[in-house]
Amino acid sequence: MEDIKNLIRMADRIQEALIKLKNGRYLELMRQLTSFAGQLQELTTQSRKMGTSLVHGWFSAAGRCCNGINRLLSDIQYSLPRIRPLVEKPQVKIPKLSALVGELDVLEQEFGNIEYDISENTISVVTDSITLEDVYLGPFKIQLELNKLSELYQNSVYHVIALEPNPAATDDNVTHPHVSNETLCEGDGCVAIRSAIEEGRVCDFFTMVRSILNTYNPDSPYVALHDWYGEPCYECGYVMGSDSSYYCCFCERDFCEECATYCRSCDETVCAGCTERCEVCDEPMCPRCARIRCTECECVCCESCIEEGLCPDCKQERKNEDEEKQITGTKETGTQSEPQNNTEIKLAS
Amino acid sequence: MRLLYINNDGGGFADFVDVTEGITVEQFFKDKMQGHKPDDYLIRVNRQPVPREYILKDGDRVTVTPTKIEGAVI
Repeated sequence: MEDIKNLIRMADRIQEALIKLKNGRYLELMRQLTSFAGQLQELTTQSRKMGTSLVHGWFSAAGRCCNGINRLLSDIQYSLPRIRPLVEKPQVKIPKLSALVGELDVLEQEFGNIEYDISENTISVVTDSITLEDVYLGPFKIQLELNKLSELYQNSVYHVIALEPNPAATDDNVTHPHVSNETLCEGDGCVAIRSAIEEGRVCDFFTMVRSILNTYNPDSPYVALHDWYGEPCYECGYVMGSDSSYYCCFCERDFCEECATYCRSCDETVCAGCTERCEVCDEPMCPRCARIRCTECECVCCESCIEEGLCPDCKQERKNEDEEKQITGTKETGTQSEPQNNTEIKLAS
Repeated sequence: MRLLYINNDGGGFADFVDVTEGITVEQFFKDKMQGHKPDDYLIRVNRQPVPREYILKDGDRVTVTPTKIEGAVI
């Protein structure tokens, strides 16, 4: 059990941080409003320019103004939902010290122990070991950074640290399907977590983070659990996820991006080991397409290089031969007709 | 009577709600969280876990926190 003095000290630090957060909220509102006012000012300028363009009949310039206005309207549409919650939501009262001590007391009951780091000004709890779909992820430390609480509207103010890390094989920074670089992607819990922090409901905050850690959302993980251990590339051993692995149907094995290519004739994925190359253009081919060979020299030839069953060299050779034959044929015909001409000439003479 | 109701499922906003005298925490949950199972939530009154037959009192603070929340990549 934490000493009551220690709990009061922690509660006092939390209260200080919440006061800074309240100021931070106003500062964020001011920042958003300044940006919004700038957008409105630009809209006025564009509107004036458009008026001038129309007066002078400069329709091309008016068109450009229209594009600018369209862009500004999109920006404004994006800004409003960011500003409104900062203005609309009733101003949160800073909880009393006794209420915060009560929160910490319940937190201790819930997690067994609260860790307070005076130098870093952090409050941490440790979850039980977490296993999701038979993948052991170990216990996690949830560390709330009181010094950063005022940055709630810009950054994450807490870390989720794996104490017995079993990261995804494809990414060491992903220690949980929803944690990357010690940052939790809150998904459905985002608004509720923010509210809990704003209102100083420390126990709700930690329990909600734990609830997310205890839940797997297969629709949107950093790394899916079925891919957690990855698959080694058969060629080089590089561990890859299912979305980055390539299956070679000829040797029936998985390969990484570097060790696989595709057949330029039929687009089939093929590994380096099964790849054959067109002897004319050197493009990779799958074994199936590599059966196509030149009927003359029997060299491997891709679809784009083969013509009438012949590779370009043989095709050229045949063409030359044909031409030669044609010439010879013409000559022979010419030899037979010459005497006739001569005769004709003779006759003429 | 009036209670402070904090629903951490969704927005997580705190609201004051009027309820009838003598309502138990179980009835209150069924009324507010229709279609949801109490087993999927941590239900606390004045920050403390209570039995389902606990009769709520004026000014009580009821907190409902889901035990399963789906995280997601932004």
